[in-house]
Amino acid sequence: MKNIIFKHMNSGITNSPIRQWFIDQALNHSKRTIILSLIATLIMGSGVRFLVIDDDMMKMLPKDLNSKITWDAVQDEFGSTEIIFIAFGRDGESVFKPQALADLWSLSEELETLPSVDDVISISTFTRIDNIDGFMEIDDLQSAQTLTDAEIDEIKIYLDKNPNIKKQLVSKGEDYLLTIVQPYDDVGLDTFRNDIVTAADAILKNYQIHFGGTAYVTGSVPQLIRKDVQSLIKVGMFIMVMILLLNLRSFPGVIMVLMVIVFSLVSMMGFMGWIYNITGSDRFLFALLNTSMPIILLTIANSDGVHVVTKFFREMRTGKNVKTAVATTMDSLLIPIFLTSITTIAAFLTMISSPLEPLVGYGFCISVGIGWAWFLSSLMLPAVISLKKWDHKSRAIAQASVFEMLVGRLGEVVLKYPKYVFSVGLLLVFFGLAGFYNITVDVNVASFFKPGTEIRDSMDFMDQEMTGTMDLRIRVEGDIKDPGILRKMDSLQVFVEKNKKIAVTYSIADVVKQMHRTVMDDSLKYESIPQSREKVNNLFTMYSMSGDPEDFSAMIDYDYTVGLITALSTVMTTEEVFSFVVSISNYITTYFNENLNIDVTGMIVVIRDMVILIIQSSSLSILFSLILIGIIASIFFKRILWGFLAVIPLTAAVILNFGLMGHFNVSLNHITAILSAIIIGVGVDFAIHFISQFRRLSQTVHEDQLSREVIKDVGYPIILDAGSNMGFGALLFSAFVPVQYIGGLMVFAMISTSMGTLTLLSSTSELLKHRLIEREN
Amino acid sequence: MRYLIIFILLIGVLLAQSGYEIAKMVDERLAPKDLTNTTNMILTNSRGKTRTHTMISKSMDGNKKQIIWFLEPKDDKGVAFLKIEHDDRDDEMRMWLPAFKKVRRISSKKKGDAFMGSDLSYEDLSSRELNENDYNRMEDEPVNGIDCYVLEIIPKKKAKSSYTKHISWVDKSTLTAVKEDSFDKREKLHKTKEFGYRHIGDYQVINRVFVRDTQNQHSTEVMFSDIKVDSGMDGNLFHEKNLKRLPRD
Repeated sequence: MKNIIFKHMNSGITNSPIRQWFIDQALNHSKRTIILSLIATLIMGSGVRFLVIDDDMMKMLPKDLNSKITWDAVQDEFGSTEIIFIAFGRDGESVFKPQALADLWSLSEELETLPSVDDVISISTFTRIDNIDGFMEIDDLQSAQTLTDAEIDEIKIYLDKNPNIKKQLVSKGEDYLLTIVQPYDDVGLDTFRNDIVTAADAILKNYQIHFGGTAYVTGSVPQLIRKDVQSLIKVGMFIMVMILLLNLRSFPGVIMVLMVIVFSLVSMMGFMGWIYNITGSDRFLFALLNTSMPIILLTIANSDGVHVVTKFFREMRTGKNVKTAVATTMDSLLIPIFLTSITTIAAFLTMISSPLEPLVGYGFCISVGIGWAWFLSSLMLPAVISLKKWDHKSRAIAQASVFEMLVGRLGEVVLKYPKYVFSVGLLLVFFGLAGFYNITVDVNVASFFKPGTEIRDSMDFMDQEMTGTMDLRIRVEGDIKDPGILRKMDSLQVFVEKNKKIAVTYSIADVVKQMHRTVMDDSLKYESIPQSREKVNNLFTMYSMSGDPEDFSAMIDYDYTVGLITALSTVMTTEEVFSFVVSISNYITTYFNENLNIDVTGMIVVIRDMVILIIQSSSLSILFSLILIGIIASIFFKRILWGFLAVIPLTAAVILNFGLMGHFNVSLNHITAILSAIIIGVGVDFAIHFISQFRRLSQTVHEDQLSREVIKDVGYPIILDAGSNMGFGALLFSAFVPVQYIGGLMVFAMISTSMGTLTLLSSTSELLKHRLIEREN
Repeated sequence: MRYLIIFILLIGVLLAQSGYEIAKMVDERLAPKDLTNTTNMILTNSRGKTRTHTMISKSMDGNKKQIIWFLEPKDDKGVAFLKIEHDDRDDEMRMWLPAFKKVRRISSKKKGDAFMGSDLSYEDLSSRELNENDYNRMEDEPVNGIDCYVLEIIPKKKAKSSYTKHISWVDKSTLTAVKEDSFDKREKLHKTKEFGYRHIGDYQVINRVFVRDTQNQHSTEVMFSDIKVDSGMDGNLFHEKNLKRLPRD
């Protein structure tokens, strides 16, 4: 057996004045350190009361995004276009009955009184244009709440005569009535959604109800996901605590790790609240994108705490007293913990350059959280450890845990077969690379929900029976009374309707055609755009004498200079949205006058653009993070080679992560794109700890045993850290597909980064050890 | 002494005018036999955007007959409108559409419908029949320094009104309405109106109306200028054939 020489560090003695100061604060001023840390945490954490949850997706977008600019213009001219659909009825039962129409009347009346509602479109509020005995008669489609059979028949006849109108108001099987509700443009979608659902549920108790529309989904999803994640995180935390307890076998030890986690989380959320309170900036609103922040910080804070506690127990096992064990633990870990924190902070701070407002706040606040976790684990945690009375004979200290024994065996394998281990790792990376080509981007909101869930079933119902719930808006700027422009709008609608996913389109061109027919004695021959501008104008003037021109407010602006074509569609995949918008743009370029200003917008277009931005900013963020981490590691470890090696497991994990997404058809969207941050946050820690210990032990351990000893030293906390974080696999049981992905990718990130460090990095270090050790010495 | 005071008070109560009486006085107020004016109407929507219409209007019989020729905007020049109110049947409304070279009849079923997209409905523009409403006198109140009667006017069912009531402030000296609040079917305030007058001959003639729709945040300001009264208008003027040409005068 070869000699293994350990040099014992005297307690409290280190060759670095800064490390000495930290150790001194923890050991000689423990109570003061703890109290000050608590006070500081409380002050930071008190900002939680200012935290604002806001899921208004539009606030996330950069102000100079084209589709956002158009969307804002449309909201300004026509009011909010983010509508909610309500369909109610009973399967197989005709809605053309007095009771159903009376209930629709009640619903429409009630909705119109809501402060968040701007407009309600239903049979009860629709206006009909008829030619009766030479009159152009504008009248209510439903004249009263209670109708006779004859009056109901009249409604049915009118709708049958105007199929485009009918599609907007009644289901294909005539067994559901549709109501479209438009909010005021300054109302939050979650408030709007809640108002509508509460009102509808109260009135329509005796019917099957389906809700739909991007406003409904956008208003519902964040709170549903938040609730789901909150409850599953509790399960995850419980599993994490159990795993820690089983391995640490020390309840106080687990509590101490949890203490760092909880205080860091509270401080981060409190900081976010404070900053929002001080700046009022939308960057510091807590939105759906921010849901992963606590999860990521939790894993990082857990990592710091686990490293400290496990190292302490190993030092105690060698027979040291508490203070000496704390001193040697911190002397060994202060630099790596600092390095892991600084590299992770640097990685997240690259998000500050993101065009997406919430990602700027995300990067900034999580950096503060990581910094606080470092502060707590470097000062408060060792102070707390030093104050407790530990029993040398307890299982936690006296005996190695199961994971520790497993890790020892892993070290043997790496030592014996480094080339084999390296090759297997490399093969996996190539496998991951191959998957890159299959990555798809999809923000199809329907895919967020599993079939059988209420929202998904409603969306499917709306798609199959009604007009669908997605909307596309085409804004046309020009002289809308010009028959040439109206004809072009009409032809564009015909083109758009060729897409099988489009259920119906409507615009002022349809109304002009209908009025023209009515004025010309209801002759179908005249259901067309009049030849002259004067005729178009006369029709509008005539309508204003009989009806309310505000009826057109969703289709044309007050000055008749901007028209809006609305297309209602069934759910489209992101790819379909992309190609559809491109085809519309091509059609416009070919057939429209270049003097006309035409823009395509709508929630699906905006989400598409947002996803592109997220993916771009996430990709750039990963790239910059890797470079930055490599540079920082190179500086601290005084060698470029170490910097390069530090990013190996991280890079491999990123490649594998996205590669597996490609292989297993996990689409990239605004939730899964953020997950790469987890890999960065956690992955770099393992590599830094490994390299730190490698360098440290290379000065005292023989090179033939070096890899094994390093793995023995850092492998256990790495495996324990990864193992305990896999409690978040509980998210796999979420009802939301993206949250399931968060859970799955968390598990994957833990496995890939920990194993990447203990196999790929360790085998590479073993293969290059002569170069590495020689230079160190 | 005591009985004298009670007697004086009783006389005061008996002599105080009821709401109906005040409404009757207003109804019987001297009004021009015919009226010609240039009307300038500015509509402002909730987003602050405006539309302006300029028209020539001729009316007689207390506005029961009215003919309007549109001058501006230029798009509307040539369009004309004719209204004849009847007591025993639906009012007649016709429009000349110069581009179609047709006269088209317009339905007057919904009196609550707005005129030209303004905040004035056909009901607002029609004369109010005395016996189609109930009147309650409320406490007198000054408006802009003018002493006013305050009347609560409740349309009867036969009026087929789109309002549940109006509160009207009537100038005591001129018996003209200076302000009126109108309430919708849910008894919520729907419109507030302000009126301005000009003294021409023996008449108090409206020269300004400002209406605000408090529910839709829309407003209409109407200014009447070039006002001529009692010009000896011929009743035959109010015929379809006269829609097609602007009057020479």
